[in-house]
Amino acid sequence: MDSRLRSQVVFHLTGRQPDDGGAEQPLPAGLRPALLAPYRKLESIRHDFPVVLAAGPGEYVVSLAAAVDGALRTAAPQGLQGEAMRKRALHIERLIREAVAKGAQGTLLQAWDTAVAGAGTDDAWRREMTAVRNALAVDGELAGCDSRLPSRFLRHAWAVVQGDKARAARLRIDALVLRLEGILRADYARSAVAFQVANLQQTFGGSHQALFNFATMSRLLSPAASQGGLDTPRRARIEWALRTLREQAFFPPPGDPGAQEANNGGFAFDNVSAALESCRHRLPDMLSLLKALSLAELEVEGQFVEQLHAPIFDGMQSQDFTAAELQFFPDYLVTLDSDAPGVQADLGNALSSGMPVKVLLEVRDLLEEAAPGQGRFSFGMRGSQLASMAMTFGDAFVLQSAASNLLHMRDGIQRGLRHAGPTLFSVYAPADGESTLPGYLAAASAMQSRAFPAFSYDPGRGSDSATRFSLENNPQPDVDWPLEFLTYADQDLQAVTEELAFTFVDFLLADRRHNRHFAVIPRAHWGEGLISARQWLESPPADAATGLPYVLAVDDADLLCRVVVDERMMRAAQRCRETWHRLQELGGIHDSRTEALLAREKAAWEQGRAVDTAALAPAAIPAAPGDQPSIAAAVPDTAAAEDEAAPNPDVAYIETLRCSSCNECTLASPKMFAYDQNKQAYITDLKAGSYRQLVEAAESCQVSVIHPGKPWNSDEPGLDELIERARPFQ
Amino acid sequence: MSAATLCLHHFAEENYALEDYQGGVPRWCKGCGDNAILAAMQRLCRDEALRPEKTVFVSGIGCSSRLPHYMRTYGFHGIHGRALPIAEGIKLARPDLHVFVNTGDGDCCSIGAAHWIHAIRYNMNMTVLLHDNHIYGLTKKQASPTSPIGTRSNTTPRGSYLDALSPLTVTLGVQNVSFVAQAVDWIPESLFQILTAAYRHRGFSFVRILQRCPEFVGNMFEPWVHDPQRMLMLTHADGIRVSPALQKIYRNQLPHDPADINRAREIASSEDPIPVGILYRNPEVPCYEDLRGAGKLRTADQVRGTLDAELDKFTVWPQ
Repeated sequence: MDSRLRSQVVFHLTGRQPDDGGAEQPLPAGLRPALLAPYRKLESIRHDFPVVLAAGPGEYVVSLAAAVDGALRTAAPQGLQGEAMRKRALHIERLIREAVAKGAQGTLLQAWDTAVAGAGTDDAWRREMTAVRNALAVDGELAGCDSRLPSRFLRHAWAVVQGDKARAARLRIDALVLRLEGILRADYARSAVAFQVANLQQTFGGSHQALFNFATMSRLLSPAASQGGLDTPRRARIEWALRTLREQAFFPPPGDPGAQEANNGGFAFDNVSAALESCRHRLPDMLSLLKALSLAELEVEGQFVEQLHAPIFDGMQSQDFTAAELQFFPDYLVTLDSDAPGVQADLGNALSSGMPVKVLLEVRDLLEEAAPGQGRFSFGMRGSQLASMAMTFGDAFVLQSAASNLLHMRDGIQRGLRHAGPTLFSVYAPADGESTLPGYLAAASAMQSRAFPAFSYDPGRGSDSATRFSLENNPQPDVDWPLEFLTYADQDLQAVTEELAFTFVDFLLADRRHNRHFAVIPRAHWGEGLISARQWLESPPADAATGLPYVLAVDDADLLCRVVVDERMMRAAQRCRETWHRLQELGGIHDSRTEALLAREKAAWEQGRAVDTAALAPAAIPAAPGDQPSIAAAVPDTAAAEDEAAPNPDVAYIETLRCSSCNECTLASPKMFAYDQNKQAYITDLKAGSYRQLVEAAESCQVSVIHPGKPWNSDEPGLDELIERARPFQ
Repeated sequence: MSAATLCLHHFAEENYALEDYQGGVPRWCKGCGDNAILAAMQRLCRDEALRPEKTVFVSGIGCSSRLPHYMRTYGFHGIHGRALPIAEGIKLARPDLHVFVNTGDGDCCSIGAAHWIHAIRYNMNMTVLLHDNHIYGLTKKQASPTSPIGTRSNTTPRGSYLDALSPLTVTLGVQNVSFVAQAVDWIPESLFQILTAAYRHRGFSFVRILQRCPEFVGNMFEPWVHDPQRMLMLTHADGIRVSPALQKIYRNQLPHDPADINRAREIASSEDPIPVGILYRNPEVPCYEDLRGAGKLRTADQVRGTLDAELDKFTVWPQ
């Protein structure tokens, strides 16, 4: 083994550079996986970010690019002029993207104005951009893909859902208040008090009062006053319900965003115990409001029965709340940091509390090394494990995603926020400064490399894992690592295309803290012993000298290089892949039990086929599959028909199932025929009428379901003729 | 309404019987197929426990349109061809009502055809029963759009000249179609099953019911009434299942997935055998009332505010 190879092997096995001049180069700054080379100038590429956290109706979040596209569809005319306008608008969009990447804050319209002001001076140009601005269908805060994104995004989505909830609740409450007031008003309007002189006077305008004699009016009207009116317990009930509904503090009046925002503030927390305490504190008020709602709904429908309902209302307790009832109230939003001490216990408390708690778990760091002194190297990948653990709480909605994928998960997030039960959103947004990549790329590469796969577990979708669990949005979910093509120019400037896998090791490469686990191999040292990390992971070589794993990377100048990875990183990548396999199985991909069953059945089928092939004649080849059965040739099941015993033709009967309720037989012979509970005729008493009546009923039946059989009274006159008439109906 | 309230409602409610939905005595001709439709409708109301005061039947003009008179629910006997717009108005103003529409082949497919097309497209949540007897019965036998070619009637004494219009294929060709089924009055059990499925579908459920008119075209459906093998029962887990008792009579069955619109169109074109069952169902099509957020209740403040604003427009203040 030459010294070069020996030094590479030593590095791979130990993670240390040998002292004998192995000549491996230190890791250059700005090194990134080769597949990420095209995204160096991310701001110039139209992608999902920044997003607009839109206020008002419609989608609650849209990407800046989609918003600008929508505006251009409206504002830009067809033809050359429109093309020029589009080009300028896209330039403004790029300026906004750059500004947000540098930390600019504000709404879309503000950012648009700033970008336009800084971009040009031509008046016609400004007019065009003003037209595009006016065509923007959405406005709201802009949010880039940074470490603050998960909390901003979720808080916004949560506020939208709370707003919808509050509107729906207020509609229901206000409608009930209206109708309860109506009951009291109607009672008052018919009461003797309403007909008193002073009260009658108040119902007239001041200028007309002198024209009427209210004393006479009162005397005339008073006898018409209702006696009694509402009884006292009912009035008390209605007044209590009315008071409770009016004074409830859960839903602010509609149309006041400030009040809604202030109300939301009372339901957002950064620790679980405070949220649960607040929830417990509100339980009595929730119970009162629910009681008032139920009571009001019964009262307005006039369905309240004192003896029946009073004990039920008296016995109602907050412990009996169903998930659907809890869903009526505002949800609690709790934001947790995955690295905070005791987060596992907090999460357990929140998800098992039975309260409508929506937890956002912010995962900042996937690559934190475990505490020193442990025998085995491992990464602190608690974030993804916490979400997987949360799925064991049966009714909890769990959604995991990298921040870069949040826009695509917006529907799932809404579903989670509307879920009638606890919800966990586990979102990875890398802490600023740990990665050499911008936030969007760092988050996206975590998902791409399976370090932080996206998944959702929605108990509302069904009762089994197949419907509840989804690996939607993961790139190429049926393989270990997503495969992409990289095209580059070689030393002779010829284009070379290579298929590369984006593995966990590629993700690690972008993290500064783990640079020591990688070593760049100079081109001169690219020898036979190097194999790609993907190849290594598929079948780790028995001898390190024959298979040193490397990944392709590019430096600041976009020069391609190979980077050897030490064994500890490769083992970590293997563990990452095992975790991914478990998720795949949950998602029904490469399900080991199914595959075993399939293999067994296939073996049995092939064995059977081998036996049959010898015995089968060529004519026994079945028809080509996939043909739809012909409508005309839908053959009746004659075999089943033959099994049926034919009814005795001598005994009268009626095919009740086919009766079309035309009233003929029941009107002609009401003692002989009657309708069953489905209004279909049957024979009540054959002897209650004559054979003649039966035959006439059979003749008048439009669907011929009455079968007269043979006469039972041989003395009946004209039997021969009747038997002949009955023949067609036997 | 909360779960608790609903529960309490159910607690206090009585069970309904068929008679609770029985209005006046039907005044249809002897043996009319409308009787079977009425019986199936009353059975549906009873089994689904539809509160009579929350149920409305809307009709246009024709024999079929007399049905609301015989239901002890709310009813609206409208004008010719206009049952659907009236029903849509009711649904917009009172989304809490169960809306049923009874219309005939003349009412719906002739004078009301434009309303019919757009009602399909609007996909408002209601159940539409097209009583299709292939003839104008109430006015004593004139050809309707669905009369088969050659039908002799008062308006076509030498036989009708045009091929009949197929309400099923027309409905299946309109955008936003969400539920199409065909039933016949002489198989009451499947009629009831299909009406139940139509009622449970959220959207515009269109059920064409082939209905006998013994008075004016007594022989129109005779071959199919008396030969069960010429009926084609469409079965599917998402459609209707033929009960074992009915299977003994109607053995001619065809599995058909109601999600498959192309196959539905193919089956809809079949006149012999007559297909019976759910041809198409798509629960994902949005309802117009949902898109427009229509039918919300208004609070006292909103009513007062609107009234005040309107009255203030015409107020003349003393100088």
